[in-house]
Amino acid sequence: MSVSFAKSVSVIAMSLVLAAPMSLGSDPKVATDDAGDLILAQAEPSAPAATPEVDESALRYFARQGDTRRLEIEIARLRALYPDWVPPTDLLSAPPQTDPELDAIWDLYSQGRLAEVRQKIAERQSADSGWSPPADLIDRLELAEARERLINASDLKQYDTVIKVASEKSELLTCSEVDVLWRVAEAFAQTNREQRSFDTYRYVLTNCENPNERLATIQNASKNLSRSHIDELLKLERKTAGIGEFEPFRDDLARAVVAEAGEDEKVVVPAEQLTRLEQLAEREKKASDALLLGWYYLRRENIDPAEKWFRQAFEAEQTASAARGIALVLIEREKFADAEGIMYRWRADDDDSRSVYLAAVANLLGTEPRPALSPDVLSSIVTEVAAAKDVIAANQLGWYARAWQQHETAKAWFNLALQWKSDDEEAAYGLGVSYFQLGQTAELAAMKQRWQGRSERIQLIGTEAQAPATTAPMVTPPQTATAAPQTAAPAPQTVQTAPDVRVRDTSAAPPRPSTSAPQVATRAPQTRSSSTSYRRGCSDFVHPETLAPEAALARGWCLMDLNRPLEAAQAFEVALRSRTDRVRSDASYGQSLAYLRAGLVNEAAVAATKARQEPSRTIELQTSILAERALGAFERGRYAEALLALDQRAQIAPERVDLMVLRGYAYMKLNRLGDASRVLEAAAGTGNRDAIRALADLRNQLNGQ
Amino acid sequence: MSWRGLLAGLASLCMVSSMANAAITQQEWAEYSARFVSAEGRVVDDGNGGISHSEGQGYGLLLSFLGGNRPDFERIWSFTQRELLLRDDNLAAWRWDPNEKPHITDLNNASDGDILIAYSLALAGAAWKEERFTTSAKSIATALGRSSVFAHQDKLLILPGVAGFGKDARPDGPVVNLSYWVFEAFPVLDQLGTGTDWTDLSRSGVSLLEEASFGSRKLPADWISAEASPRPATGFPAEFGYNAVRIPLYLIRANTGDKELLRRLRDGMTKEDGSIVLVDFSSGKETAVLRDPGYRIISGLAACVLDGTRLPKDLQTFAPTLYYPSTLQLLALAYIREERRECL
Repeated sequence: MSVSFAKSVSVIAMSLVLAAPMSLGSDPKVATDDAGDLILAQAEPSAPAATPEVDESALRYFARQGDTRRLEIEIARLRALYPDWVPPTDLLSAPPQTDPELDAIWDLYSQGRLAEVRQKIAERQSADSGWSPPADLIDRLELAEARERLINASDLKQYDTVIKVASEKSELLTCSEVDVLWRVAEAFAQTNREQRSFDTYRYVLTNCENPNERLATIQNASKNLSRSHIDELLKLERKTAGIGEFEPFRDDLARAVVAEAGEDEKVVVPAEQLTRLEQLAEREKKASDALLLGWYYLRRENIDPAEKWFRQAFEAEQTASAARGIALVLIEREKFADAEGIMYRWRADDDDSRSVYLAAVANLLGTEPRPALSPDVLSSIVTEVAAAKDVIAANQLGWYARAWQQHETAKAWFNLALQWKSDDEEAAYGLGVSYFQLGQTAELAAMKQRWQGRSERIQLIGTEAQAPATTAPMVTPPQTATAAPQTAAPAPQTVQTAPDVRVRDTSAAPPRPSTSAPQVATRAPQTRSSSTSYRRGCSDFVHPETLAPEAALARGWCLMDLNRPLEAAQAFEVALRSRTDRVRSDASYGQSLAYLRAGLVNEAAVAATKARQEPSRTIELQTSILAERALGAFERGRYAEALLALDQRAQIAPERVDLMVLRGYAYMKLNRLGDASRVLEAAAGTGNRDAIRALADLRNQLNGQ
Repeated sequence: MSWRGLLAGLASLCMVSSMANAAITQQEWAEYSARFVSAEGRVVDDGNGGISHSEGQGYGLLLSFLGGNRPDFERIWSFTQRELLLRDDNLAAWRWDPNEKPHITDLNNASDGDILIAYSLALAGAAWKEERFTTSAKSIATALGRSSVFAHQDKLLILPGVAGFGKDARPDGPVVNLSYWVFEAFPVLDQLGTGTDWTDLSRSGVSLLEEASFGSRKLPADWISAEASPRPATGFPAEFGYNAVRIPLYLIRANTGDKELLRRLRDGMTKEDGSIVLVDFSSGKETAVLRDPGYRIISGLAACVLDGTRLPKDLQTFAPTLYYPSTLQLLALAYIREERRECL
């Protein structure tokens, strides 16, 4: 302990004297403004009319005890009270203590046993009526009591009490009690006095020296002050060797805003902060920082940087979160197998990881042409889908098996999906199709009975009107395929080759027009661009019924992007309940497109009438619907109906060349060869190769006759 | 004339101090304080899991004052102010638990605790000419009057706590607790100039007690709905319990002088052997028979006041048992020594 210690106390409480400038002269300690508020003001030193006698007994006691911290506080306090006072240099060479009883009281004080200090003072006074405690002891005691009371009140959020105590004991508000200053600042902020709160923080950053406390002060302030006030405080930053003391805070600020933006795409991150975090992540290579950036970019559909940061995070630390990020990027890039691969290790870690894994799986299974997956991959998919009882993925496994002509396996999966969710229409439809495929007519009839009035397409299974099973288009299985899908079965099953009862005569089938629904659907309406088509937002499996109409609309478009039209149609159905005309109109349009893409033309036609459409959309939908209808009729051999649809379509839109070709084939089928020749010649005149081929077919037919 | 009525003049204040010394002996207070008051000034309710509360701090202040022990009064007040007197409205949070952080586990106040604290501070401030105490007494009593004392159907009532008892807070609100009327405190609070008519509040308390006569034993319930004519409040045990048992003591200490009321209460709560019964009104059954001297002395004191009956010898000696009955016994002894020495 030496005098140099005293010198280290450079900032003094005097400037924190709580007083309105007007009232400073008389009693600077207790002053409030008219509203009873505490005022932090730069106090003028009180006029040194008479040099006060400074009680240094506490100072000497603390010096003797080697209690550095209390000595420091006491020096600060005395300086605040007596600006002209200079700390004595002979603290240790003070006269020997002659009052052991008082020493004992100081001892209690320094142990924080304040109630007993009160008790001992009163005891000594009642024993010795001539004795009065040193003023300094009482000052110290009152200060310590007030400090404890203030902290207790602050812990209980009794902010009025905090401010009341602080204004009664302004000496508390010194740099040696930064915690008290923070609590006072918080109390101001919590009682709608942000300016006062700001003043308090500003006081600390203007006057207090401790670097850790300064940094903690700006961090603490950020919890209580608005951004503009924080910016003001940041101007008080000090620099050492060119490096600002608040750099770590600025880093945290950047992290916080990027993290928030990673949750909400509407949050705008100032470029300065984004760059700061990117540089930080490059420099320090912390996985957590890279992850924040990954989610930030993914949320904004900025896939390249998202992938970069997720991969850097993964490199720094292999976590489920980083894996999820990479997998979502891969899903976005339609690299579903890779997404499945990276998520495999984390698939059971938590709900998020499982749902990303299943999203990868569902997408992978739904890829067209259906990929041949290795037994290992299929086996892990099967395990996870079964563990998660994931209905949508189970349905996908059903369609997948069906695509490989494994109808028993498909049936097993649809059955399972229906067990998990008895009202799942897609599972029921898939099961019905399987029954039909396997010739189980009784089961199919029972199924239709159960779904009477609830699903038109289930009623249509096996009838002529039925469109091809859209979620499982007929795919010729590759030669090697038979082995793989077996593992897709939940239980070992004998794979039977069921007769394909829907063998079509393809000899004269026209090339399927390349336009029609799917292309139309990519022309999504403007509402899509409101960033709601973010795929992460629908690659999970939310039941559309749980969504608000607006959200369901966004999800519908998102599902369309993922080429999951039947789920999209369900989402649009929910969106149709909106009270907003625009949302209903978009939903009707979307649902119509979705059914068109799914090949459900009648449903598409119904959907198109569910809400009022702009004329341009009505025409767009009608032309698509009629084209699909014509095509479907042709495929079913109903050539007159095909022509009827084409005629209707021609009334609202010019006939495309591919449809002219279709018309030509229809005429040929109906033996109207003259009509066929006329239309096909016109079409071939455009140089269209299908038309030229059709014309050759016609000539063959004419020659054959 | 008791010391309680003598606060007006300076001369009598000296008497307060000296008479207080006689009320509770140094020995008694030392035993009480050694058992129930921690070094830090916390009055420990050992019958209640060792927690503390504003009522206990108030009793501690009052008894240390009556025992003439200012050092202990200072100690208890220091704790009370720092640890309980934290509410924004200047009242004390009622419940302090040594095993929790923050220690306050219920921020609501208890108006009897606030009354006891303010009353003791007012007495001490006047007797010891200590402005700190008087200022705090006035602050607490003023806040209590503002937040909790209200007129209801021509009667001035006091809420047991700021939150949870009012007209809108309970289906049969307002709900009151007649044992929170610390009758002896009201004349003292009146002198603080708090803007509340404490004497009127005192009158309505007596009047409610005259009406609140439930069950075959004709006793008041701890918690009473004052919505219409008094009846046991819903949502609380319908009983004459540990709260209400102290009501006769409070009436006697305040010299309210209503002998008929006192006799009804004494008769209802006392068994033939002098033990005290607690009663459940819904079943009519006794829920407890209390033999601790601290409870029995209440009945003994009433017998002295009503009939001049001498206090049984075993009740005249104090030995700490549990916090609550020990407190009641010292309050009873203090009264009988000051006012009814003939019953000793």
